Amino acid sequence: MVTLLSEVSIDVRGLTKRYGSLLAVDHVSFKVYRGEIYSLLGPNGAGKTTTISMLATLRMPTEGDAFVEGYSIVRERTKVRKVIGVVPQDLTADDELTGFDNVLLMAKLHGYRGKEAEERAWDAIKFMELEDAAKRRVMYYSGGMRRRLEIAMSIVHDPKVLFLDEPTVGLDVQSRRHIWDLVRALKKEGVTIILTTHYMEEAEELSDRVAIIDHGHIVAEGTPEDLKAKVKGDRIYVKLKNDAEVAKALEVLSREFNDVKEIDGHVVIKVESSAEAMPQIIKLLSNFNVAELRVVRPNLEEVFLELTGHGLREEESFDAFKFRRLMRAVRS
Amino acid sequence: MIRETAVLVERELKKWVGRRGSFFISLVTPMAWLALFGKSLNFVNMFSATGVQAINTAIVKQYVDQTLLRLFGTTDYFSYLTTGMLVVFAFFQAVFGGVNIVFEKRLGSMNRLRMTPAPRSSIFFAKMVATLIRTFFYETVLLVIAIALGFSLHFNALNLVEAGVAIALLSISFISMFEAVGFSVDNQEIMFSIVNLVNLPLMFASPALFPLSQMPSWLQDIAKFNPITYTVDIVRYNLLGLHSFNIVEDWAILLGVAVVFVTIGMAVSLRVLENY
Repeated sequence: MVTLLSEVSIDVRGLTKRYGSLLAVDHVSFKVYRGEIYSLLGPNGAGKTTTISMLATLRMPTEGDAFVEGYSIVRERTKVRKVIGVVPQDLTADDELTGFDNVLLMAKLHGYRGKEAEERAWDAIKFMELEDAAKRRVMYYSGGMRRRLEIAMSIVHDPKVLFLDEPTVGLDVQSRRHIWDLVRALKKEGVTIILTTHYMEEAEELSDRVAIIDHGHIVAEGTPEDLKAKVKGDRIYVKLKNDAEVAKALEVLSREFNDVKEIDGHVVIKVESSAEAMPQIIKLLSNFNVAELRVVRPNLEEVFLELTGHGLREEESFDAFKFRRLMRAVRS
Repeated sequence: MIRETAVLVERELKKWVGRRGSFFISLVTPMAWLALFGKSLNFVNMFSATGVQAINTAIVKQYVDQTLLRLFGTTDYFSYLTTGMLVVFAFFQAVFGGVNIVFEKRLGSMNRLRMTPAPRSSIFFAKMVATLIRTFFYETVLLVIAIALGFSLHFNALNLVEAGVAIALLSISFISMFEAVGFSVDNQEIMFSIVNLVNLPLMFASPALFPLSQMPSWLQDIAKFNPITYTVDIVRYNLLGLHSFNIVEDWAILLGVAVVFVTIGMAVSLRVLENY
């Protein structure tokens, strides 16, 4: 594919962040084209948020650089800030102020004054469908409303690039779908969107292209279809009642199938067609106590497993204070 | 930069007035300080046992007045204490001014400001200006109550302005330092321990409540390194006509402190704001 330079919105070159001996982001390079939705998919702690924080000029890279709409995130930080909107994972709105005041503050800090600032704030609030709640203090908002307010605060100045860091974490299915719809509407407006997520459905549903990131590295990149094509066929997950039998089951199944693995306590058999393989698998397992048998069609989570050998949802370290507050806010 | 600062100051003040509970509690605090602390130290009663008073009240009063005059330079301890309290109250507001930075950092609302193109210095100055406005609002309340309770009125408008400027210099010095602490610290408990480490010791190691001359010499030496000492001296000189040091030197020291503290506080805060 031939791409003109002007079509590139974000150009990341060898971006690296080190915290002491920990290499959080390790020489990451990728390009995001104008008007596309680009996802960083990976488990918590993979380096997604750190990458986005550097691109959004919230953290300084240890090494490397990136260009957002042509501006260096190391040398032209204020210029970058003018063309981007950032929706962080935290709920950053001031809950002592009204939703409208929060959005208006952002408009003013982006240099708009008086009437124009107010009009812009209203437009952003309408776009995110928050008119009814605009004059209420944020402390009375539901979790989904808070998320939408965060986005409203980030688009009030018509950014060219929007960063969304785990935009639907902790939300119910309905609120999640609502936010997906609004993100698609923003794409239609021509905004370049880069989002991080550890929900594979989210990445599949929204993205034009996905980068799979693990331990600070990009391990694969492409459209969801390209990536899924990497895992041909189906996988059959077998959970045994007695974990001690896993080794034995692996051995028995390996005699007939050439791709049998143990992943997170499951025996996983990769086959071209699950319908054809199933009778034989059941026969081979007749002497085992099977707790669960599951067929999985190719999806991004499978791609991730295939590439990294572990799952997307992992134990994470977190700031308990922040987490409790986030949950309180999301529940109410 | 000035426009962004004004926008951010407006935000802080909106939150301050919106928090009605804490707004009124903060209003009651200076009243309680003066009414309880200032008026409870009634020296005439302290020094006069009932038996002694029965013999001759006039003689007891004369004795007490002489003692007060020797100790404080005035028989009006309430006014003496009020001038100290005006300074100490501003100082307390300043050191607590950095506490909400720690919370804003942890909750993410500081990050929200950092995402905008607003100059980082406007975030620093907005906190300073907002704290200063709050402080002077309460200082005014404090002064009005003090006058109602019998604060001596032997000063003119210029004296009042000079006292105000001295208090403002002390305020911006400590606001800057504690903004730097607030930006550097990640945990509110650590922040509170640092605040408590300095606030009471610095109040007692100053002439705010008692004259330096009555303190042990080692404490006097410590007090000489305390900016509160010189602020109190200027305020007391302007409002009561009392002072222990050369007033020009007081001003020079206070100005020097302000320049150094604001420079350090701002440098540290801006460094953290750019990258944390």
